[in-house]
Amino acid sequence: MALTENEQLARINADYTERYGFHDAENYLYKAPKGLNREIIEKISEFKSEPEWMRDFRLKAYEHFLARPQPTWGSPMLAEVDYDDIHYFVRASERAERSWDDVPDDVKKTFDRLGIPEAERKFLSGVGAQYESEVVYHQVREDLEKQGVIFKDMDSGLRDHEDLVREYFATVIPANDNKLAALNSSVWSGGSFVYVPPGVHVEMPLQAYFRINTESMGQFERTLIIADEGSYVHYVEGCTAPTYSSSSLHSAVVELIAKPGARIRYTTVQNWSTNVFNLVTKRAVAQEDATVEWVDCNLGSKLTMKFPSVYLMGERAHGEILSIAFAGAGQHQDAGGKIVHAAPNTTSNIFAKSISKDGGRGSYRGLLEVAKGAHGAKSKVVCDALLLDDHSRSDTYPTIRIGDDDVNISHEATVSKVGEDQLFYLMSHGINEEEAGKLIVNGFIEPITKELPMEYAVEMNRLIELQMEGSIG
Amino acid sequence: MAQKIDVCAVAELPPGERRIVAWDDLEIGVFNCDGTLYAIEDRCSHDDGPLAEGEFDEGKCTVECPRHGSLFDLKTGKPLTLPAYVPVDTFPVIIEEETIKLEVE
Repeated sequence: MALTENEQLARINADYTERYGFHDAENYLYKAPKGLNREIIEKISEFKSEPEWMRDFRLKAYEHFLARPQPTWGSPMLAEVDYDDIHYFVRASERAERSWDDVPDDVKKTFDRLGIPEAERKFLSGVGAQYESEVVYHQVREDLEKQGVIFKDMDSGLRDHEDLVREYFATVIPANDNKLAALNSSVWSGGSFVYVPPGVHVEMPLQAYFRINTESMGQFERTLIIADEGSYVHYVEGCTAPTYSSSSLHSAVVELIAKPGARIRYTTVQNWSTNVFNLVTKRAVAQEDATVEWVDCNLGSKLTMKFPSVYLMGERAHGEILSIAFAGAGQHQDAGGKIVHAAPNTTSNIFAKSISKDGGRGSYRGLLEVAKGAHGAKSKVVCDALLLDDHSRSDTYPTIRIGDDDVNISHEATVSKVGEDQLFYLMSHGINEEEAGKLIVNGFIEPITKELPMEYAVEMNRLIELQMEGSIG
Repeated sequence: MAQKIDVCAVAELPPGERRIVAWDDLEIGVFNCDGTLYAIEDRCSHDDGPLAEGEFDEGKCTVECPRHGSLFDLKTGKPLTLPAYVPVDTFPVIIEEETIKLEVE
């Protein structure tokens, strides 16, 4: 007998473990012991046959990491991160293959199960698949490659395009920007390197998929995207991990550079298992007439602290941050965004939505800064929180700094509960209580999901719906 | 009105060296990049922390903010990397009678 949609959703609901939370046997080429020291960093660099300047960069970053205290301004959960209880480097395969057939069987099975090769065939311009510390598969459409589009894993990017990497690497996020950026800078491995030549529009998204398999693993990918003048690229990333009782750490650094007239859209659907600390630094530069958009969806993880930012450095640059965070039991989603108007006539929007249920905590933390002389800047910040029950929590920490008189800034914030009257209204139209709850939540996040590529919007809605099961009533 | 303040004797600031001097409520870093002298305000424009004590790269003529890593061009005061994005003040350096001096207002 066919199941109703709700019954299907209820079945899916039970099973992060089954869908994403499974893990494979560990047939690794190398697995670093727990903890971090200079020898491990030197070994990572040696494995990758890196140039000396990169090895020195890593070691210097490690000194910064050691010198900085653990931040205390964010979530209290940060104190639980144990840097000594993490494997900093795990190598599952010799190199990034260009054919799925050449990827080791266990790893390939994982990505098959997650639907990655299928997605590539259907609607992507290129795919990178990272398993543990390194990228195991990487491919970009031939026609794009012929136009000069580079889409490689970061290790290959450094090897094949050293000059380009050296010119831009860590210019947006220096090694000692913060403790986690310093940690990433010292042990980074994998991630994507993207370069789009002037005027080239990459119509279908490039996607990277990040998978952690090992228990107590640290994944530290490093991504650098350069969109040259007048070009366009949409990069999408997804991530999942097995459910373990001990904690894993994911700490990426992502740098975007949009040159004059270029546009970069960066979409994240973060669905880590609830034992993962997700502490990520993402920052973009938008030069004259350029646009950068972050679409940031946070569903999984134990604690996420992530505030994608855009520095509007050239006149008429535009920045956009769309953020959804869903905090369930035991989760803290500390998300938001930062925009800096450093040039005249720049514009920006931040739309942030958080949903908290079952005692989860959603925080919006944002910065809007207008530099002196950035006249004609316009910005709108809207952050809305939806609480689904009495014991969940929502906080808002907005900071606005305005250094110029001739600006137009607005900030709106709302906190609402799914109310009896809303439910009653929908139920009086013949909709059952559970459906009514989903409608309210979907209506709440719709302004953001409609910005996702269709396939992701469907996935996002499905994930939200399964998170919502049994939430109302 | 512009005035000149003494930094030190020329011989006391050889190539690759720096010196931080105070004037009024300002602190100024004076750097010798391969024989040419440059002076910038000792204040990172990102969060107003001290700047001139950071890592000095004589070859590239840059100083790195010790707090968050912004790299500044000593010739122009411009930040070459984020998170700082506003240039810091620079000051003309002159040599008179074997003494390094700064012109300040």
